[in-house]
Amino acid sequence: MNRPGRDDAPDRLYTITQGRSRTDPDNPFDLVTLVVAESAPAAGMQSEHVAILGMARYPTSVVEIAAELRLPVSITKVLLCDLLASGRVSARHPHRPAITDPDILEQVLVGLRNL
Amino acid sequence: MNAPTDPGDRPSLRTFVPVLAVAATLSALVVYAAVAAAPAPVRAPLAWGGGAAAVVLSAAVATAAHALRTGRAARHRLAGVTQDIGRLLQQQARATEEARQERLRLTDELTRQRGEFAATWAAERARLEQQDAVEAERLHRENSYLASELEQARRERDAAISATSNAAARMQALATAMLADLRAMEERHTDEDVLADLLHLDHRTAQAGRLADSIAVLTGARSGRRWARPIGMESVLRGAMGRIAGYRRVRLHSVSETAVAGHAAEGVMHALAELLDNAANFSPPTAEVHVYVEEVPAGVIVSVEDSGLVMGEVQLRRAERAVSGDVSGLGGLTGTRLGLAVVGRLARKHGLKVSFRPSARGGTGVLVLVPQDILTTPAPAERAAATARPVAASPAGDPVTVEAAPAQESDTPATEIGPAGLPRRRRGHTLAEAGRTRRPHDDDQRRAPDADAGRARAARFSSFRKAVRPTASGSRQAGPEPAPPTPGTAPGDHGASTSHSTAPDGQSAEAPRSAMGYDQTASPRESVSHTAEHTSPATSSQPHAHPEGDTTP
Repeated sequence: MNRPGRDDAPDRLYTITQGRSRTDPDNPFDLVTLVVAESAPAAGMQSEHVAILGMARYPTSVVEIAAELRLPVSITKVLLCDLLASGRVSARHPHRPAITDPDILEQVLVGLRNL
Repeated sequence: MNAPTDPGDRPSLRTFVPVLAVAATLSALVVYAAVAAAPAPVRAPLAWGGGAAAVVLSAAVATAAHALRTGRAARHRLAGVTQDIGRLLQQQARATEEARQERLRLTDELTRQRGEFAATWAAERARLEQQDAVEAERLHRENSYLASELEQARRERDAAISATSNAAARMQALATAMLADLRAMEERHTDEDVLADLLHLDHRTAQAGRLADSIAVLTGARSGRRWARPIGMESVLRGAMGRIAGYRRVRLHSVSETAVAGHAAEGVMHALAELLDNAANFSPPTAEVHVYVEEVPAGVIVSVEDSGLVMGEVQLRRAERAVSGDVSGLGGLTGTRLGLAVVGRLARKHGLKVSFRPSARGGTGVLVLVPQDILTTPAPAERAAATARPVAASPAGDPVTVEAAPAQESDTPATEIGPAGLPRRRRGHTLAEAGRTRRPHDDDQRRAPDADAGRARAARFSSFRKAVRPTASGSRQAGPEPAPPTPGTAPGDHGASTSHSTAPDGQSAEAPRSAMGYDQTASPRESVSHTAEHTSPATSSQPHAHPEGDTTP
């Protein structure tokens, strides 16, 4: 078992985002937004940005990126917003599931309960 | 007196003339009587003869008279001179007598005075000696008093420093624990408002921790925490940034790939934090502080440039002296100016060289040379940890790797099989070597992705969770786990490694695998976050743990 404060990274979350923890309400990212890198990492970039660009060479969801970075989703969103603003990533929303009928969902729920 | 003769004493014409006249008259009368009495025929010759005889007689009488007179004068003068000599002799004798008496008197006087003086001096000396003795006694008492005072002051100072350092160490421990707790809370709470508040608290706690660190450094205690692995330069700079109030104004320009050895990282971070804090405090609240990192043969130069106050010549010299580490006393410290003294202590401890100069930005520039001997190249594990990204690793318990690693000792020197069947990095080798040597086997395995492997991994991970959870939730302070999963080998990480390391293989192979990887890894990753939520903060950073190096209490 490791002890607190000895094995975690020395950088605090607020230094990663320069103190920002919120994103604009109109940011396009939610947990399942797929992120795609639009360019290769450049020299001098923040290491998290480099990591995101490396991960997002193929469409990767926000929650997955957050888990890989071991950062909270909010922090990840801030980083992604930075990258989006600089045009290095683009956000794609996943296709809506075909089944959106509440009746079907309800039937599924009932079926699940009956299991 | 042997004076020249008086004019009266000298035979003169006046004494000469009467004698001559009397003799001449008498002889003339005699001659006339003789002539008158003589017959006529002899008168003439008689007259001539008588005349001549008379003249001669007169002359002889006059001469005799003169001689008589002269002799009398000479006798008279002789008597005078003799008298004078006697008088002079008497005078001399008198003077001699007087002189002798005077000498005796003076000698007596001198003897008497000498005696007096000797007595006075003796008395004075005795008095002074007594005074000296008294004074010496007093000074001795004073000295022993001061010595005891000094001893007491020293004891009190030592006690105060020890108490302070103890308290600082406890504050450090508290701050460290609070930071870990806060980090765990930040992971747990997804609400943005809560997160913002937590970050705020995190920042405050980090600053408090820095203050505790400063006090600990100044009181000679060891630095608060030690990192078990090298810390990348970016993380060092960010760690330093995170501990100052004005971190938002700091701009990092770091392209350095070097890392600071774990034992020195905390000190370097702390010293940089103090310098950054100085730079931020002594520049306008809107000005930015720029940090550049440059690799040089002697090490890494970190320069901190602000655009604030320009330090004067005297201030620069004072600052240089403060950071040189030569000043070891605590004198001259004030509550608000600890920074440079702290930097000096840390610079001395870790061999940093700090110099000040006017900055091209208009303010002051600080150059910190981090020497080569506390620098290392970051292991991939470290870099991954720095980016908070789990390390790519082979499938846990990959049979080929397990069998191959011990057999091919020369080929796979860095790989070892841990008790849990996971490949483990051997001390002194980087995980990259392990990864490189393992790569061919991985590729063989990965070229035939099948659902069974995914299920096996998921099953393995769930057993891993079972193993971890009771320990983690049981007690955070438990000792090192007997068989901790090696860094980056948590199965949950595998999805990333697959998509990451095989990305260059090609799009055709990628599409099905990425979809499959997502399916396979979705549940483990969810489990990771689940685990992190329900266990201690220590567990959340579990995959960072090194099985080694963490030997200090």
